[in-house]
Amino acid sequence: MADNLPSDFDVIVIGTGLPESIIAAACSRSGQRVLHVDSRNYYGGNWASFSFSGLLSWIKEYQENSDVVSENSSWQEQILENEEAILLSSRDKTIQHVEVFCYASQDLHKDVEEAGALQKNHAFVTPENSIEAAEAACLPTADESFSTQSCETPAEQTQRSDPESSVEVNDAETAGEKENLSDDKPSEEETSENVPNVQDNTEPPKKNRITYSQIIKEGRRFNIDLVSKLLYSRGLLIDLLIKSNVSRYAEFKNVTRILVFREGIVEQVPCSRADVFNSKQLTMVEKRMLMKFLTFCMQYEEHPDEYKAYEETTFSDYLKTQKLTPNLQYFVLHSIAMTSETTSSTVDGLKATKNFLHCLGRYGNTPFLFPLYGQGELPQCFCRMCAVFGGIYCLRHSVRCLVVDKESRKCKAIIDQFGQRIISKHFVIEDSYLSENTCSRVQYRQLSRAILITDGSVLKTDSDQQISILTVPAEEPGSFAVRVIELCSSTMTCMKGTYLVHLTCMSSKTAREDLEQVVQKLFTPYTEMETENEHVEKPRILWALYFNMRDSSDISRDCYDDLPSNVYVCSGPDSGLGNDNAVKQAETLFQQICPNEDFCPAPPNPEDIVLDGDSSQQEASESSVIPEANSETPKESTDLGNPEEPSE
Amino acid sequence: MMAIRELKVCLLGDTGVGKSSIVCRFVQDHFDHNISPTIGASFMTKTVPCGNELHKFLIWDTAGQERFHSLAPMYYRGSAAAVIVYDITKQDSFHTLKKWVKELKEHGPENIVMAIAGNKCDLSDIREVPLKDAKEYAESIGAIVVETSAKNAINIEELFQGISRQIPPLDPHENGNSGGIRLGTQSLQAGRRCC
Repeated sequence: MADNLPSDFDVIVIGTGLPESIIAAACSRSGQRVLHVDSRNYYGGNWASFSFSGLLSWIKEYQENSDVVSENSSWQEQILENEEAILLSSRDKTIQHVEVFCYASQDLHKDVEEAGALQKNHAFVTPENSIEAAEAACLPTADESFSTQSCETPAEQTQRSDPESSVEVNDAETAGEKENLSDDKPSEEETSENVPNVQDNTEPPKKNRITYSQIIKEGRRFNIDLVSKLLYSRGLLIDLLIKSNVSRYAEFKNVTRILVFREGIVEQVPCSRADVFNSKQLTMVEKRMLMKFLTFCMQYEEHPDEYKAYEETTFSDYLKTQKLTPNLQYFVLHSIAMTSETTSSTVDGLKATKNFLHCLGRYGNTPFLFPLYGQGELPQCFCRMCAVFGGIYCLRHSVRCLVVDKESRKCKAIIDQFGQRIISKHFVIEDSYLSENTCSRVQYRQLSRAILITDGSVLKTDSDQQISILTVPAEEPGSFAVRVIELCSSTMTCMKGTYLVHLTCMSSKTAREDLEQVVQKLFTPYTEMETENEHVEKPRILWALYFNMRDSSDISRDCYDDLPSNVYVCSGPDSGLGNDNAVKQAETLFQQICPNEDFCPAPPNPEDIVLDGDSSQQEASESSVIPEANSETPKESTDLGNPEEPSE
Repeated sequence: MMAIRELKVCLLGDTGVGKSSIVCRFVQDHFDHNISPTIGASFMTKTVPCGNELHKFLIWDTAGQERFHSLAPMYYRGSAAAVIVYDITKQDSFHTLKKWVKELKEHGPENIVMAIAGNKCDLSDIREVPLKDAKEYAESIGAIVVETSAKNAINIEELFQGISRQIPPLDPHENGNSGGIRLGTQSLQAGRRCC
């Protein structure tokens, strides 16, 4: 747009992930002039969520390795003699080993596209490549059989998504993938043999038969998070959402089940008092044992003598000393405390158990909430809060460099992609925007992620609308526990008849190597044939994505080279289940930027500030505001009378 | 007592076409010449009767995020209607209307009621956009259209009445409620809205 960005701010925030967005909201709320930019065309960075087609274009971006940065060096002229530049990274390097597998049958139609819409957020940028993206998505995994059918033709028309080149470009990353193709051959062959013959036109679609083209068509029903987290109902994020009133922008669902996977069987863990009593898996004796132990955990601090002797041991060993059957020990360790068998201490375990119990019952039967439309909504909610208080938003806006004053060693400006110099007092920047030079000493960990679209729940019950979390303990030393979160369609994250399953663990290898075993235990690939009615109990995978994401949390600031003191670094998503890490980080950095300021205080009902020059109303509290503008019930009666008179 | 239905309405349109002024006129029957770019207000509410229901409009403003085309998808979530505003004295603002409609179709819910408002109709002597063009376009996308003046309070009520009439009656089985939990003070009451 012709509109130029203002060139003077108090705080410039680069990156729209959760911590950055919270900081932006907090700064804006306390009166700072905030510019918030992101180089991508969507909100959230690695915290984003995507529609199906949006995810396909995200995948394509990382598989193409496109380095289309036109090195426009006009910024250099802007660096004065007494200044130096800290170059920022021009390409995101946080995502690796992206692998896609499509098991749902692929239609022959090449022109399938998302109903009513093209891909996410490309509306003003590159509207033309959406279909191409959708098709390209099956390329990397595509064994020849189905790529010839559904992908090759369109791919040939366009240069970029040519199957060979897109595989080649990725060579390093896809080495494993090629093996994988052969692993998968049996099932894929079955599929591909059947695809042309047993197509949709020969039999009417049966129940439970979801094709790839249906997924594409219903693509907007999906809101697929890159990071899979839940909100502890008494966690810092919930508190912050309520306190800041940002909660009004979002709605949540309660996680309905805590599951456990043991000896090949998925079971529900009873965790609330009612659950324990109603449980059919537990014997009467076990129920008493569990209740007694959980009651103790609620106030373990008051009974130090009960656990003091075990402070040096692991929680798992401590549990063995308690009056708990192995069954119960397993529940407590893996599903309630969700701690590691080998590394977590007794106190860590007790603390985690207490926290779990403490969060129970606030909103429902489990301690967790999940935001409707996905976790990716949350950064956007805070961004809106920032905008409401005057923050300026600009996506698709990259920053070339930070300008540092040689003498004071302070950062004083940024230079953006257009060569515009924008000055500011403080600079908040997400880790992935920093260049390799700045991060040369930083040791990153990695997360392994898998995202599956399946046709059934891992534990079927009367209701098909369950939201579940399941922890699969680490199998071998050196590997990590895998967290599985299964979302149903009423969370607005997937189409009806499907489930969206997120798997997360800390990486020891590539995402697929880390997670495939668990995936195979819980699910089976979708095949067109009804496999001789082998009584398939496991839910079937329609589509799967694996990738590794950089975990830049808990990195000491000292590891970054030469950062001026007024440049603050935010991390990408961490491996934890909750969001406390992001909130803590945001609060700490906010307090460095605005010492002595309140962190996201309850706004003076910002929605109700009256838009006129009358400043007396600017800080008005709820009660003194014009009744119509108030969304609280007490004013309802005033509202009711209202409609009649103004209909002049 | 009549049932109250909360309806989220989102505003779209270029910076400066008068989005906030329209809401301000509708909700407060007030107009300010020197209205500053939208700061501090992110939704306002007003309740109007419609048949045997009361429609409580929760009107969301863009909070300026439209300026550099950076509206977040969450802005559109769950909207029952969208008011897309252009300025009849600025041909450009009518051109970009189509982009907003496209964006809405992409991110907005299906079945969203679309209303096009050609604002500043008090300035018809410097008009650049003929009403006919707007009508044709509105028809092509199934939107309602009306020329408004927030300044002179022309057609503002009518705009929202038009929206009210287009809102499909509540289906008792599939009420618009997603069944989600709203955090904060009135979670109990809010969780059961529309029922």
